[in-house]
Amino acid sequence: MSTGAVVSKPTAGTAEPAAFVDIPVGPYETEYLKPVHRVGVITTLAISAAMFLPAILLYLIYGVAAPWDAILAGMGLALTYAVPFFIIEPISYYPIYGDAGNYMAMTTGNVSNLRLPCAAVAQAVAGVPEGTRKGAIIGMIGIAVSVFVGLIGVFIGAVAGGAITSSFPVWLTDAFKLYLLPAVWGAVFGQFALRGPYYVLPALLIAGIPLLLKWPGYVVIPLAVFGTLALAYFLYKKFNLAPKAG
Amino acid sequence: MDWKFIANQPWLWIAGLIQASIGAFQAWYFFRLGTRLLEKHGNYHRKEVGGIVRGAVITSIGPILAEIFVMLALIIAISPAYAWQREGVGVGSVFTELVQVSNAAVGAGQEFGTESFNMMGFATAMVVVNVSCIGWSLGAAFFTRYLGTAREKISRGDTRLLAVISVAATLGIFGYYAANEANKGGGREIAVLAGAILSAFLFKLADWIHLPRLKEWALGIAMFGGMMIAYLVHGGSQ
Repeated sequence: MSTGAVVSKPTAGTAEPAAFVDIPVGPYETEYLKPVHRVGVITTLAISAAMFLPAILLYLIYGVAAPWDAILAGMGLALTYAVPFFIIEPISYYPIYGDAGNYMAMTTGNVSNLRLPCAAVAQAVAGVPEGTRKGAIIGMIGIAVSVFVGLIGVFIGAVAGGAITSSFPVWLTDAFKLYLLPAVWGAVFGQFALRGPYYVLPALLIAGIPLLLKWPGYVVIPLAVFGTLALAYFLYKKFNLAPKAG
Repeated sequence: MDWKFIANQPWLWIAGLIQASIGAFQAWYFFRLGTRLLEKHGNYHRKEVGGIVRGAVITSIGPILAEIFVMLALIIAISPAYAWQREGVGVGSVFTELVQVSNAAVGAGQEFGTESFNMMGFATAMVVVNVSCIGWSLGAAFFTRYLGTAREKISRGDTRLLAVISVAATLGIFGYYAANEANKGGGREIAVLAGAILSAFLFKLADWIHLPRLKEWALGIAMFGGMMIAYLVHGGSQ
């Protein structure tokens, strides 16, 4: 942890005052980080335990249990797909949303398409630099809000089922299904391109070339993240190039 | 008994409600803790926190609507209760979910989405999809506190370097997703480009005209704008 308050460049046209002053390290650690870790560990362990509930209830109520050989074979396939992401996702996303953000994102999922954009917008609205204590808290607020909105939306979606979406014209449904997600990726990339314009082309090339070579996602994602990071670190150390404020 | 009937009974709605309650409590606790600290030590007032919340609500509407659309696949293929249980506090996205149900079905010697998928396939899926995602939550429980330490050791308190790490990591991740979609060509490529240009323009515009509230809407407008431009240019075929 760094010591004392951090003062950085003014951020024009945002909620932050002319000179950015970070939250002091003492209160941040004792009044925020400490309870975040305590409740974060308890709730993520509780969620892990609750994941066994459906299988247990299915057995207790209906007497139906899956055979072990089917479970083992299914788990083998499922883990092959999931294990690389258990490691890659928290390491890759942590710098953006911090400790509380990581607990929430790893509990509620939909990180890249929902949690990260909400964290990024919250930080942009507040005009706080990423990597600061204030930035981590504001990113966390963005994620927490997305959890509430998501729970309400998914509940309504599940209860009302097809009724809501069937009232939409076909063209709109098609547009959502086909193009919303690519537009999300592009929009967040565009927002951050303003912050670090010199990383844009390398980031696209580092990801794009392996994709053209049809390398699997679990190889290309860490390559894209750590490749861009390595280049950014080099540019910072060699030429003192760092992202613009806000 | 028909597995489709069992799959939409109260037990699964309740299991989903318990998981959702844990997720909601966690988010509420962190939110309360963070806003209190911002007001006490961060020179923030309720009005400014309100702006941050508004921006996050606006940004989350698009992806959540999209999730509900894709969730229809789960509702149709399995049940509304299953969709709620998995997506309320779903650790994986709907796309991951569909892959994992298919993997579970293969493990049970069946094929998801066909007549061969029966009660055994459903019971296997209930175990596999739920238990296989525990890696994320257990990883968070045991390793989150060390992620911060590792990052601090790397940066040694240099906040400019932390900004370098954050912005480069974000561009690396979204560069991958954007390049992956653009690589498919057609309307998806247009959606990526239109979303990126609109977003960059709107964030810049907010600074030019000194209207910070525009930033609350920028990402939401860019997402829908990118989506609509892609549809208008390329239509409903990929």
